[in-house]
Amino acid sequence: MNTIPAAAADGRRPSGRDLSERALGALLLAPAALLLLVIVVYPIATLFWNSLHGVDNANPAAGEQFVGLKNYLTAFEDSRFWDSSLHTVLYILVTVPGALVVGLGLAMLANMPFRIKWPVRLGLLLPWALPLVFAGLIFRWFFEYNTGVVNDILRRFGVEPLQWLSDPNLAFAAISIAIVWKSSSFMALMLLAGLQTIPKSLYEAAEVDGATKWQQFVEITLPMLSPALFVALIFRTITAIQTFDIPYAMTGGGPGDSTETLAMYIHKTTLDFLDFGYGSALAALMFVLSMAATSGYLKYTRRSSGRSGED
Amino acid sequence: MKTWKILLAAALSTAFAANAMAQQTTLRIFTGGQQRPDVMRKIADEYQKRNPSVKVEVEVGGATSEAQQQYLSTVLTSKDSALDVVLIDVIRPAQWAAQGWAEPLDAYLGADRQKVMGQYLKAYVDANTVGGKVISLPYFADAQFLYYRKDLLEKYKRPVPKTWDEMMETAKVIMDGEKNPSLQGFSTAGAPIEGTVCTYLVPLWGMGSEITKGGKLNLDTPQARQPFQLYGRMKQAGVLPKNIAEIPTDRIRIDMQAGNLIFGMSWGYVWNRLENDADSKVKGKIGVARLPHDQGGQSATCIGGWQVAVSAFSKNKAEAVKLVRYLSSPEVSEMQAVMASHLPVFPSVYKDPDVLKANPWFADALPVVESARARPVSHQYPQVSDAIRSNMNAYLAGTKTTDTALADMKSRLQPIFR
Amino acid sequence: MPFGLSRRGTVWIAGLIVAANGFFPAVWILLTSLKTETELIRAPITYLPEAATLDNYATAFTAQPILRFMWNSFVVASLSTALCVLVSALAAYALTRLRLPHRNLIMSVLLAIAMFPLISLMVPLFKVMRELGLLNTYLALILPYAVLSMPVCTLVMASFFQDIPPDLEAAAMVDGCSRVGALFRVIIPLSAPGVFTAAILAFVNAWDEFLLALTMMNRVNMRTLSVGITLYQGEFAFPWPLISAALIIAIVPICILIALFQERVVGGLTQGGVKG
Repeated sequence: MNTIPAAAADGRRPSGRDLSERALGALLLAPAALLLLVIVVYPIATLFWNSLHGVDNANPAAGEQFVGLKNYLTAFEDSRFWDSSLHTVLYILVTVPGALVVGLGLAMLANMPFRIKWPVRLGLLLPWALPLVFAGLIFRWFFEYNTGVVNDILRRFGVEPLQWLSDPNLAFAAISIAIVWKSSSFMALMLLAGLQTIPKSLYEAAEVDGATKWQQFVEITLPMLSPALFVALIFRTITAIQTFDIPYAMTGGGPGDSTETLAMYIHKTTLDFLDFGYGSALAALMFVLSMAATSGYLKYTRRSSGRSGED
Repeated sequence: MKTWKILLAAALSTAFAANAMAQQTTLRIFTGGQQRPDVMRKIADEYQKRNPSVKVEVEVGGATSEAQQQYLSTVLTSKDSALDVVLIDVIRPAQWAAQGWAEPLDAYLGADRQKVMGQYLKAYVDANTVGGKVISLPYFADAQFLYYRKDLLEKYKRPVPKTWDEMMETAKVIMDGEKNPSLQGFSTAGAPIEGTVCTYLVPLWGMGSEITKGGKLNLDTPQARQPFQLYGRMKQAGVLPKNIAEIPTDRIRIDMQAGNLIFGMSWGYVWNRLENDADSKVKGKIGVARLPHDQGGQSATCIGGWQVAVSAFSKNKAEAVKLVRYLSSPEVSEMQAVMASHLPVFPSVYKDPDVLKANPWFADALPVVESARARPVSHQYPQVSDAIRSNMNAYLAGTKTTDTALADMKSRLQPIFR
Repeated sequence: MPFGLSRRGTVWIAGLIVAANGFFPAVWILLTSLKTETELIRAPITYLPEAATLDNYATAFTAQPILRFMWNSFVVASLSTALCVLVSALAAYALTRLRLPHRNLIMSVLLAIAMFPLISLMVPLFKVMRELGLLNTYLALILPYAVLSMPVCTLVMASFFQDIPPDLEAAAMVDGCSRVGALFRVIIPLSAPGVFTAAILAFVNAWDEFLLALTMMNRVNMRTLSVGITLYQGEFAFPWPLISAALIIAIVPICILIALFQERVVGGLTQGGVKG
């Protein structure tokens, strides 16, 4: 990034291929950099700065005071931070693979040669197009004790209705189902795009060689799909870390705090409790969690970009 | 490029327009979608008619108290001057005072202070005064009532219950007699929402106890266990809905309206829906009474309702205070009662013939509202609320016992009330 | 074919599964929007409306200026999508097809942006928009939406750009295209599914977003749909039939729009591509 000014000036000088590539690169990256600078750099800097501040509860009118790393130390002793982080990790462990499997399935089904494409495409899009808050509310209603569809079906099969939203384990299951439904659509969209770029000739050749469908899937589909797959996974993981709307709408974190996620706790701390310092520290810790979860992916891109750099 | 030009043109034209009306003061009121912005608009029109130099704009925010506070927290933390008058929930004045968001009204009220504050229902004087300062003025009142099925009580010749035990017994008798599997005995808010705080507080207050005593936490009392035990007994007797831990406020109204509930503890809005909704199966069959209490205790209830505050960042504070005083006048209280069935904040208005004609039940409502109490006043009220509701909810869901729920509640409240 | 199904049969079943999975809540909302509130709270529940009514739609149109909300959402979502896709395409091209130093660092920074919960950036973002004088203008949402979707769009397009053989680009440049010309004439058309996916993601992200829209636009006539729909809701009451009608009004046009766009535009582009 520090090459921007020099490179931009060199833009048209034909002084060696590398330099002009750099200049062009800087020029192409400039709009993105400018937008980021205006919109997110200042807020993110504020976030870190806030996380070093706190309100003295005995004297709130005095405003935020510099407290150093105190907010971070508080977090490590705050059982609610650990509990909500644990719940978040559980949601990641269940809903990321869940969305991957369901999304891949949907994408493969949707990639079949349909004569009329739009109903299938619409079926893929609808879960994604339904605003998150409402998706949560609709699923809460599905799992509602008296007037929910799920319990109605159970009753029709002669099974005792379940208290989906007031039992911690059932609530976790219900929320996970809702998240997988909503996010598998995103997965499927990303993967479908990847599937469409796989040349049909590869499968035809494999067919001639006598490869089974499963072999074709493992040998052709998965490797060809891996760039799209990784991008989809990384973003699903990042959004899973930020899981908020669906549990918020379905259980509000209940019963007790048993389904509360880290993002919900940050939301509560910041906007309800108005403790911006502590809320920012929690957000910064969430950022660390995101970094840890995605570092594996970054290693992958480093490897693959190293490879493409050679050709 | 075009967008920029349009924007520039728009900016210039508003600048000129503002210039042309320089002598006119514009005040912006923020209200939630639920506090009847249409009625607020009519009240504002009336005010403009009387004060031609003032233009009142009504800004409508999110529907729920939570959505509104999310927006207001952002705007006010940035010390934005766009809002002059803000409608706030009864639980918020202490937080607003601590954040320095509300302009204290004492200096503006001056010598009038005693006279003005003396007219309101006592609970609202307490709720709007923080540390001796008047932070906001009440706009309309609310409280939790016991709604009951008059027809069923008459059928089984039972009196309106005075105590929780009487209520449970009556509910049992009626449920056994009616043999309707969807008929439930008693319902109240049990989900992890604000209303569930009152679910805990009402029986506690009924025993004559409180969360705090002299500013210190006061939960090591036998009375502190009482609310848990009460709902535990109700659950065991089958009087509470099985999914009580999922019940949000409006579910009580829905069940009552469908004829599936004998007793319900809920806010003032329920009455109008039960009496006026086309699909109500219980029109004319509903009674309103004070909430029951334990043997030897006395009836208590939570206050609700909304207040008007002047933003500390307003550029027209003097004009804003005038508007706030108008909004919190007996005249406006009466207008609201007639147009929106909002409960008045002045005892005198409950007896107004026009108000009673529009809302005959206000006669029964006054004693209940008079017995209403404010939830614990703390600038950290959201934390207090969170500690109470999540543990009450966990108890109702059966994931915590009386001991663990109370212990967890105490450990969360301890740092706040030291 | 497995299970002795004909090829046509398999395709049909596949379509049904995808459609059913996507449609069931939408169908549920559609049915609900035709019901009355009385019918809704009845136990046992009904599936098909007993006496279908369009009243909820009439109320949805009259109780709030929903067409205005829709227009606002449309303007904000399409302009932010255009901005985001353009900026991300340039960035993705630079990151995948040019020899740049610190490429991984730039990628990481982009990803890191996506990792901050929006909620904790709200207050400073509001301040920025106020300082720029953009509150209650479309730009107050267009700019942040473009940025919020930029990481995902850049990565999606980068993953597609990466796979295009360098010869194709070289051939275009021999034909007299500049590098940027080659980007628009060769790379982007060849990655049409990727670009289209990026656009959908950006569009839907913008269409759905709630918190920013609530905060940056406080004038009623500037509200977007996701905020507007919550205005039908009560402090306590949640009128499902009415909200369902509003949701149907909100999502159906957008889905049809995207489906048509995909069929006509992207379908055409992909077929024209040098493939298979």
